[in-house]
Amino acid sequence: MSNATLESGAAMAEGTARRGVEQLSMQQALNRALDEVLAANPKALVFGEDCGRLGGVFRITDGLQAKHGTGRVFDTPLAESGILGMSVGLAMAGFHPIPEVQFDGFAYPAVNQIVCQIARMNYRSRGTMPMPITLRVPSFGGIRAPEHHGESLEALFAHVPGLKVVSPSNPHEAYHLLKYAATRPDPVIFMEPKSRYWQKGEVDFDSPDPAGSPTGGSPTGAKVMRAGRHLTLVAWGAMVARCLQVAELAAEDGIDIEVLDLRWLKPIDEATLAASVRKTRRAVVVHEAPLTSGLGAEVAQLITQACFDTLKAPVERITGFDVPYPSGDLEDEYIPNIDRILFGIQRVLEYKRG
Amino acid sequence: MAEISFPLPDLGEGLIEATVLEWLVSPGDQVERNQPLVEVETTKSAVELPSPQAGKVVRIHGGPGDKINVGEPLIVFEVPDNTAGIVGTVPKEEAPKRRVRLSAVLDED
Repeated sequence: MSNATLESGAAMAEGTARRGVEQLSMQQALNRALDEVLAANPKALVFGEDCGRLGGVFRITDGLQAKHGTGRVFDTPLAESGILGMSVGLAMAGFHPIPEVQFDGFAYPAVNQIVCQIARMNYRSRGTMPMPITLRVPSFGGIRAPEHHGESLEALFAHVPGLKVVSPSNPHEAYHLLKYAATRPDPVIFMEPKSRYWQKGEVDFDSPDPAGSPTGGSPTGAKVMRAGRHLTLVAWGAMVARCLQVAELAAEDGIDIEVLDLRWLKPIDEATLAASVRKTRRAVVVHEAPLTSGLGAEVAQLITQACFDTLKAPVERITGFDVPYPSGDLEDEYIPNIDRILFGIQRVLEYKRG
Repeated sequence: MAEISFPLPDLGEGLIEATVLEWLVSPGDQVERNQPLVEVETTKSAVELPSPQAGKVVRIHGGPGDKINVGEPLIVFEVPDNTAGIVGTVPKEEAPKRRVRLSAVLDED
């Protein structure tokens, strides 16, 4: 890598050169991760609609075809069932497919392949046919796009046994979570928050998580993005950045909020979730997906189960509405905004028993 | 920077060509989405074509009186690499605004 810096000291002693920190957009961080995965694993393949020559509509695969060849990074027809069906065959043949479904709403035509084949082939074959498939899905709303371009499918996929689901919240998480996901032996649905593609952030290439974190340095489980004492905001994807803004505003009012980035939506890191809420004794879950049967319900139940005796109020959910995702002009009304989240926090803060 | 070409769209009712009447933008102009680009005339009517996207105009095809077939290049935009090809609009980063204030008496037990 061009940014690799050869530093003396501990890193060199362990035989690995430190690569340092860079300011990257999530686009660039994901591109870097895919580039490294392709370089490290000759069985890794990247493909999807416009992923090859164009480099993806969000530029995530930009330059990868030129570098790794048309045999490993290529365009597919506009047929998601074919993209995922082909992934099944490639995985059976020993490849590690990293397909892209161009937008969340385009995953629906591939649900049969994802649910009936990819999720259960390993189970069905008694472990003789693993499905190491990393499905990238530009997800959630916020870019004023037309229908089928702003949906939140995490609960749908989290409900399917055999699938893992993960969503990064910033460039650093995107780099490390994608590199991790794309080296797993299991199928992972990788939900990229498309409204956060362009914001830059610091990517520490050497360390996914802070030293001494409970995950032992691997990007598994949930992550406390901001420590606080009075209430835990639980979020993932694009809502993490919004919750961090809310926490700053709440601090002006003397309320000290902890922001937990769930990261892995299946499986959910119950231990980290419970540890946070046992400390703060109040929780609000925020997601873009509709309320009913959304992942917030699962999170609220896990919190209630683990923290029932110490909770000061029922867990609040601040979510999208039970309607099809609206057109761009209305999405600010749909996606949880700062005031709606603050209202939810206020309801929890003023809750009285009995 | 990346270049994006916008072909003459189907203006409806099976029309296969249009005549340029007047360009409302010039190469070098920065245009916004929905800004009128050009006035063209078909056998049915004269219409203004709005820009499908924001970007800097690099080239325009055809002068006043020239015929352009549907699907042939009309105008070429230059956009930053990281926005080329996207569907939708890059969100603006804005300072957070609030109307709701929190109030609570917290017992620190």
